[in-house]
Amino acid sequence: MLYVVLFFLAFSLLLYVLLAGADFGAGIIEQFSSKHNRTLTKKTIYRVIGPVWEANHIWIIIVIVILWVGFPGFYNILMVYLHIPLTLILLGITLRGVAFVFRHYDAYKDKTQLLYDWMFRVSSVVTPIFLGVTFGGLISGDIEITANLENTNFYSAYIASWFNLFSLFVGFFFAGICAFLASIMLIGEANKTERRLYVKKARIATITVIILGFLVLAVGFVQEKVFVLSFFKNPYAIGLIVFSALLILPLLNSIKNERRIITRALAGLQVILILLAAFVTHFPDIIITTNGSVNILETVATNQVIKVLGIALIIGGAIILPGLFHLMKSFKMIKILE
Amino acid sequence: MDNLDAARLQMAFTLIFHIVFACIGMVMPFFMVVAHKKWLNTKNPIYLTLTKSWQKGVAIFFVTGAVSGTALSFELGLLWPEFMKYAGPIIGMPFSLEGAAFFVEAIALGFYLYGWNKLPEKFHWFTGVIVGIAGVASGILVVSANGWMNAPSGFDYINGEFTNINPIKALLNDAWFTQALHMTLAAFTATGFAVAGIHAFQIYKKRHVELHTKAFKIAITFGAIAAILQPLSGDLSAKDIAKRQPVKLAAMEAHYHTQKGAPLYIGGIVNNEKGEVTHKIEIPKALSFLAFGNFDAEVKGLNDFPDDVKPKNIALVHYAFQTMVGLGTLLMFAGILFFISLKKTHWMQNKRYWLLFFLLAPLGFLALEAGWIVTEVGRQPWIIHNVMKTKDAVTPMPGIVYSFYMYLVLYGILTVAVTWLMLRQIKFLNNSKIS
Repeated sequence: MLYVVLFFLAFSLLLYVLLAGADFGAGIIEQFSSKHNRTLTKKTIYRVIGPVWEANHIWIIIVIVILWVGFPGFYNILMVYLHIPLTLILLGITLRGVAFVFRHYDAYKDKTQLLYDWMFRVSSVVTPIFLGVTFGGLISGDIEITANLENTNFYSAYIASWFNLFSLFVGFFFAGICAFLASIMLIGEANKTERRLYVKKARIATITVIILGFLVLAVGFVQEKVFVLSFFKNPYAIGLIVFSALLILPLLNSIKNERRIITRALAGLQVILILLAAFVTHFPDIIITTNGSVNILETVATNQVIKVLGIALIIGGAIILPGLFHLMKSFKMIKILE
Repeated sequence: MDNLDAARLQMAFTLIFHIVFACIGMVMPFFMVVAHKKWLNTKNPIYLTLTKSWQKGVAIFFVTGAVSGTALSFELGLLWPEFMKYAGPIIGMPFSLEGAAFFVEAIALGFYLYGWNKLPEKFHWFTGVIVGIAGVASGILVVSANGWMNAPSGFDYINGEFTNINPIKALLNDAWFTQALHMTLAAFTATGFAVAGIHAFQIYKKRHVELHTKAFKIAITFGAIAAILQPLSGDLSAKDIAKRQPVKLAAMEAHYHTQKGAPLYIGGIVNNEKGEVTHKIEIPKALSFLAFGNFDAEVKGLNDFPDDVKPKNIALVHYAFQTMVGLGTLLMFAGILFFISLKKTHWMQNKRYWLLFFLLAPLGFLALEAGWIVTEVGRQPWIIHNVMKTKDAVTPMPGIVYSFYMYLVLYGILTVAVTWLMLRQIKFLNNSKIS
């Protein structure tokens, strides 16, 4: 049953990265667009993610609940040592969520729209950066786990692990991935003239992701981060990244041929491969600390808890997944014309 | 302010905020589907206009509730890591089911909001019903997790270790039913009276009277029925607390001296140092009867509990309890008044009738918040009753007070923003022509 729970954990995290990632990315694209294109993107975003965006963001709650029920020790470290970036993520999620709804459900469309739009765009950029920073903090090797927190200074206990060049680059890298996913999604939704715009955005996003990915590895290598060093020693991880990079060629081809489904599948696969590479590099030692690492499997709850959690997840999944699938299908199949 | 107080204030503040939005997001879908059903049956366009304007309200409140709920799922760990480390696996059951129910709600809402003219009529309407049912289910599940903090079960606590964890037993703890029933009725009462009050004000101002009267009737019917049933549920809760958490009962009643045939105090000023209540109205033997169903039963007083197991702020618990009961009773009478006015229709011609219901609008929510203050402050100093103290659960990270200020500003702004948006919705509705 532990594997069922781990599967749902990985599955939920993956869906969060892909679906919510594309949502965040849509806001990032809107931020980095000219004034005219912003209005256009805003309309497209509403049409594409309107019905599903709330569901997309619930995956993070599922991830959090699985962690605290199934892996309480792991959750505890995350919550104590990465309190600050997590709080900033929450701030971003809150502002972004309300801004999205306010701008579409305000009865009057007047100047306040400018404020909602601004809130939506800024929080769309900031939130994924801090999600990435939090992950960077986990693997930075700078978390100083101690039983004696009262005598540790504030900076090294609660800030050093995430406020460093490596973690920040991981944050930017993740935001880049979000923008990449969103641009691919938007290509499929746009009409002929708009397509060119999003193809251009996709190109810029791809190049940015490659540069940022390189920077993450370079900084990690120079600073001798355990995670990066073991990445270079792991042939599977390197193989997965190379494979992901090679997929750019068929991706470009399918964009050219306007194959919507294949384009999206390829882009999704690329991101999955990147995540998988990170995963094989250091699973099950998810947290790397100043003097070792924390094995997530050693923080697992008792068998009875895992059994019940697994059953709850299977039942929940059996209800949610068909519903979600139907929701996505309904609103993709039926074109909404404004 | 020390870290513990800051963490408690932040938790209290975010919960107070979240509860309002969660309740509206959970109850308003029911109003919406009733109006929708009437539109389908009568094809009276007023009902369509009403359904669509309520649906905007549902969308705004749902999202505000959802994001503040997401924040809470993190805050439980961010503020109380030691509590979650041990309690997380035990109360995981209600929370994982709540996650599932909430997910269903979000999916159904996606169908409902975007399904106009695209889905088959009946299926579309039914997705609205699912929104409501899933909302109530997730509310019940979350309250069950809170019930576990009051009536911990489903584990053995030996030498500071939690063993033999049984998540199902924890879910079905002794407090879950009374608390969930009380809260669900409270949510319907509060939202029913709040929504009805807003529409009553529009009628008072003579704007779109026909539409607002229809809206008023739908909302107040839910609110009135719940308000009339609530005292029964309150009685169950009181008897339950008397058995399980006698110290909380004593704090609620500001009952200091153990005695047989204990009186019930109405109103009064608590003097905790002297251990007495002045300026109160005393009903002889009533407390014994309400708590144990026997006029001569002994009710243990606060003085006979050791200092380290009773809440510090007795006055707050007592005043909050009085507020809840007082307002609840008032709303029950208002509910009865509404049902009488259905017979005596000339009452509704009187402007003061509408003014009255407008003035009642916020009271349900005040009662509901007061009730949560009773149950939460009344459980102190424990975070898990008789097992773990709140001070042992708080995060070791100093400076929580700044995080508290941040939430204060953020949710303060959100409250203003959402209120303003609702006013704009109403203005828009009143300025629009109903075809």
